[in-house]
Amino acid sequence: MKKLLAFALAAMMLFGLAASGLAEGETVTLKVWGSQEDQELLGVLVENFKAANPDTTWDISLGVVGEPDAKARYLEDPAAAADVFAFSNDQLLDLVNADALYEVTRNLDAIVAANSAGSIESATLDGVLYGYPMTADNGYFLYYDKSVLSEEDVQTLDGILAKANEAGKKVFMDVSNGWYIASFFLGAGCTLGLDENGKQTCDFNNEAGVAAGEAIRAFTADPAFLTGDDSVLTGGMGDTICAGVSGTWNAAAIQEKLGENYAACKLPTFTLNGEQVQMSSFIGTKLIGVNTQTAHPVEAMMLAEFLTNEEAQQLRFEMREIGPSNSNVAASEEVQANIALAALAEQSQYGVSQKYVLGNFWTPSEAFGLAMENQSTDDMQSLLDSMVAQITG
Amino acid sequence: MKNFKAALTKLPQTIGRRLVEGAKILQKGDARTRLSCLIMGFGSLTHGQVMKGLLYFAFEIFYFYFFFGFGWQYLKDFGTLGTAAQERVWNEELQIYQRVPGDNSMLILLFGVLTLASLVPFFVLWWLNIKSSLAAQQAIENGKKPNSFWQDLKTLVDERFHITLLSLPMLTLVCFTVLPIIFMILIAFTNFDQSHQPPGNLFTWVGMTNVTDIFWGDPVKSATFFGIFGWTMVWAVFATFTNYIFGIILAIMINKKGIRFKKMWRTIFVITIAIPQFVSLMLVSKMLTDTGVVNVLLQKLGWISQPLPFLTDPTWARCTVIVINMWVGIPYTMLTASGILMNIPADLYESASIDGAGPVRTFTSITMPYMLFVTAPSLITTFVGNINNFNVIYLLTAGGPLSLDYYQAGKTDLLVTWLYKLTVDKQDYSLASTIGIFIFLIVSTLSLIVYNLTGSVKKEDQFQ
Repeated sequence: MKKLLAFALAAMMLFGLAASGLAEGETVTLKVWGSQEDQELLGVLVENFKAANPDTTWDISLGVVGEPDAKARYLEDPAAAADVFAFSNDQLLDLVNADALYEVTRNLDAIVAANSAGSIESATLDGVLYGYPMTADNGYFLYYDKSVLSEEDVQTLDGILAKANEAGKKVFMDVSNGWYIASFFLGAGCTLGLDENGKQTCDFNNEAGVAAGEAIRAFTADPAFLTGDDSVLTGGMGDTICAGVSGTWNAAAIQEKLGENYAACKLPTFTLNGEQVQMSSFIGTKLIGVNTQTAHPVEAMMLAEFLTNEEAQQLRFEMREIGPSNSNVAASEEVQANIALAALAEQSQYGVSQKYVLGNFWTPSEAFGLAMENQSTDDMQSLLDSMVAQITG
Repeated sequence: MKNFKAALTKLPQTIGRRLVEGAKILQKGDARTRLSCLIMGFGSLTHGQVMKGLLYFAFEIFYFYFFFGFGWQYLKDFGTLGTAAQERVWNEELQIYQRVPGDNSMLILLFGVLTLASLVPFFVLWWLNIKSSLAAQQAIENGKKPNSFWQDLKTLVDERFHITLLSLPMLTLVCFTVLPIIFMILIAFTNFDQSHQPPGNLFTWVGMTNVTDIFWGDPVKSATFFGIFGWTMVWAVFATFTNYIFGIILAIMINKKGIRFKKMWRTIFVITIAIPQFVSLMLVSKMLTDTGVVNVLLQKLGWISQPLPFLTDPTWARCTVIVINMWVGIPYTMLTASGILMNIPADLYESASIDGAGPVRTFTSITMPYMLFVTAPSLITTFVGNINNFNVIYLLTAGGPLSLDYYQAGKTDLLVTWLYKLTVDKQDYSLASTIGIFIFLIVSTLSLIVYNLTGSVKKEDQFQ
């Protein structure tokens, strides 16, 4: 009996040791999530990080989870999610509500100083910074074909459509997508926000919103209007399409198709109640967050900071032509010379932060856009009322 | 169903009988047997069944260790599903807000169910332990030797062989099917949705709210539920019977005397099976977009000026999925039907033609009844399968076109694809779980009713 007891005690001590964790010389195991396109870049950055911190034994693995899916995949099982993960800042609110993100508290001042004010603001809630800004180009603007449209034409949507019809070409915009369609409503002065309970507020069904809705209806009814996904735009640009609304991720493909005629600028103005109004846009950033469930918060923060520092953003721009949030990189000559990023910067002065957009916005707004593309003749007020009811519901 | 009802009505009776039996055992049992109620295996051990007694005792130790060491921490919060969310505390040394782990509603629910369920085998073994102690005691009283451990083991391959055979399947069934289902069903009575995500926000019991929501409580959700339910039924009927009827007609046409190159025709139709279903579905969905091959071709030919809204207009999209499903499914029916058609005795047709029956009459009076008799059970399976036909819908339209009348759903969404979107995209687990329960109810009721009505079940013995 005594032997048995001794054995049991020994076994318990073993378990106890294992549970208390290793002390000195431990291996720090971290998991990083990034998009498929970022894997090569992340591989390089992680190797650099290991080289820069040789005192610790690192075991860093990479997982493929794109920024748009990060929140959904995180919430499936926070404990099994990556320690360090990239996400787009429209997920910030939901992630903070689930207490998923460590506050950025270490080296805070240096991080705030290094990145553009807009990108810091996009990662801040109630005065607390929750993510490390990584990119500042999650937005959209107008690509156009210089051989068809002049700089004059692209100032107004009507001008673009008139020229396009003349030339027998199409104007592309994915109206059945809440992200793009919001540019009309936001341009008309409607707002998306949060009430004190953290619920979405939306006034897209007010007078200005109805007028914007009618403008969308007129746009989609135009013979030159074309919708579809990215592949439609990149496939048809230069052939059947003379102008299209999209973001920097398509820059390389469109530049290749258009060659010398490649051009980009801010979004045009559209006609609202007989007046010209500038189209707005969502501007988002991509952030890197540190999981609150991580076993190594300090090391994870070191890695997150390293993945978003000036050198990393420089490398990210070189490898992927992604617009940096770091002020120094953004001011560099290469970035300034990039046509798409210049257009984005021009548009961003009319942009609205995507931070206060909750998950419920996307499906109803897509449904509304689809009704417009299908040339719905329903009463605009009631269409918008039901959309807003679902968004705020 | 009847058995289940009978078992349920008998339940109080059964419990009563067990209590009486228990009282008798305690009355008849000696002190050692009575002590077995507290110390499992004590009776067996002291009545000469050492191995058995030790095993019972070891089980009790193990179970108490599991229950108090692991299960209780979850079970004690089962009523509230946790109250303390994860908290943050400033750590000056590390300069971070350290997290103090709080309760996790999901783990409480999951392990709570597991712990509750574990009480059943515990009480069964506890009961057996007392009974076996009494049996050993009585054997000794009657001057016999109680069964040795080896003898007990031997009965497992003899008179208790069914236990040996069935214990592993039963165990896996309970662990991997029954327990997860109970867990899922319980989620339907919580508010586990996007804004109640542990560890930052906990969820709790909300009673029947989700059920009432989809029936009348929430107008948008109930409109979505009934709208999608209606379309699911329409879809299941069309998808099943178009495939069935056209498949049979195709098989009859190929099977007809005088048709040449029968094998070639069959091969041509079977080729569609050779391409994986999801590949052809995704290709077709690309082909049918506004700028897809079909629309571009028709426009180039000058037959249409505007692209046809194959997948973007609700009615068009619904027809499209049914037609595409025919293309995917008919070859399968054709294959089955060909086999059965060749088995219909030729003399039936001969006598029919002597009696002057035309082709339509032979089809309705001989071919169809024969086919229906043989294929009715598989028809039900197909119907039920179509209610949950995720692939065709999700890969072709993804449930679209989305509608403002629906909550997070589109006009071709089936209940099952809606459920998928709610869980994967929206983390609306409680609502999804409620829908899951209703899908189960619908599917099981329908299949039970229809199955019992089919000729092949009722007239099993009359198969010719």
